[in-house]
Amino acid sequence: MDGQSDPQASTFSAAELEFVAEDEMIEIVPNMRMDPLDLICGKFGPFMPQIVTQVPIWLAIALKKRGKCTIRPPEWIAVEKLTQVLEAERDSEKFQPLPFHYVEISRLLFDIASDDIPDIYMVRSLIEDIKDVRFHKIGAGLEIISKERTYALRLKNLSAMEANIVRPFVTRALQTFYKLSSPEMIQDSGSVSDRQPQTTDRGPRLAVADAIGYPLEQTEAAYCSSAYVGLILRPTNTVSHHNKFWKAEYISVVYLKS
Amino acid sequence: MANYYDIDDILAEEEMVPAIFQESAYGVGLLESSDDTNMVEAGSKAELPFWLSCDLHGRGVISIDLPPWFRRDSRTRKEIGADAAHVDLRSRCQYFYELGLKIAPLVGDKTIGPFLLVAFQTRYKEVLVKAHTATPAVAPKYLTLLTNEEAKLYEVGQSSTAAFKKWRMGGPRLQKASILGRKRKPIK
Repeated sequence: MDGQSDPQASTFSAAELEFVAEDEMIEIVPNMRMDPLDLICGKFGPFMPQIVTQVPIWLAIALKKRGKCTIRPPEWIAVEKLTQVLEAERDSEKFQPLPFHYVEISRLLFDIASDDIPDIYMVRSLIEDIKDVRFHKIGAGLEIISKERTYALRLKNLSAMEANIVRPFVTRALQTFYKLSSPEMIQDSGSVSDRQPQTTDRGPRLAVADAIGYPLEQTEAAYCSSAYVGLILRPTNTVSHHNKFWKAEYISVVYLKS
Repeated sequence: MANYYDIDDILAEEEMVPAIFQESAYGVGLLESSDDTNMVEAGSKAELPFWLSCDLHGRGVISIDLPPWFRRDSRTRKEIGADAAHVDLRSRCQYFYELGLKIAPLVGDKTIGPFLLVAFQTRYKEVLVKAHTATPAVAPKYLTLLTNEEAKLYEVGQSSTAAFKKWRMGGPRLQKASILGRKRKPIK
């Protein structure tokens, strides 16, 4: 508890997230011949001219910088796809599924491989728009904390960067709300009826503010069945081997206050 | 005694609380410097820091009165009921919530808890919006209204947003050491 009460302690810097995102896989088209690379994180290659192969982004960047390959932009960086996502993002309350590291990956690709992405200006502004819409939604979602008695918050399909930005704020706010709404402070008292409707009669039951209307699943609900304060985030569409790592990281933000 | 080493917890207990002496006390004239007798008579009022009054209250020497902003029908309560987001709580009590949490069980006033919660719920929304959108230029004016807790919340929100913006704007990924790329001084 003591170690985590400092919200800064559980935050990454944007550059660190970018570093982690570089482990995601991407397709490249080499223009040179090279034997497979046998690295600690896996075996990549062999590299043959014009034969597509999968490598981590950091390797792709290194090769690209030396002019040894062209990067194949991932499917989701395409104007039609992004336009669809943007529309859906505007229309629905939910967050659209995007790669967990879409903010970081898009920036890396814009910086390094801008000549490999078709319609780069379009793509760039679409991603900016999507990001803005999503941030606005997060803001709206966070208002829920103030309306209900909240111990945990679940935002489905939130990306790494988005979560990282709101994390210090959310954990701190939840902490304060937790302190202020402890059962000793909020007892049944008849004289509060002149104020706004209270949530005093709810008792210590878990109430989950869910910005997008998904109830917590059983396992997670059990996990936080006693009073937790924190932010549960579960990346649903992460493909890399970091999946477990991320889950662990985010759930560790949720801490026990028994 | 939530957090012994928490500086804010310590500072919150420094807040002055009005108290009424139940018994005469000798040698503590400085608490109520109305005359030279160096004693405080029973029934007189004094402002004591919370940590002191908490202890004396436990021994039954004094009874704690609520600070004006927690009293029922006080102006602060009415203002918070009207528009909590724009009440200047900082000038009243920097540790509004912390002190409220500490003092409520001592006084046995059950309305304080809900009152604090409503106040924070309403003010939270304002902090949320301002922390993630406002430019730093607007901030100083708004910050003067916030209590310590709220100001910290505001700052963490503000700083993480700022850090993200800085990263996105980019600039060189590798920072050059200042010593590199310096022009050689011409030799005279």
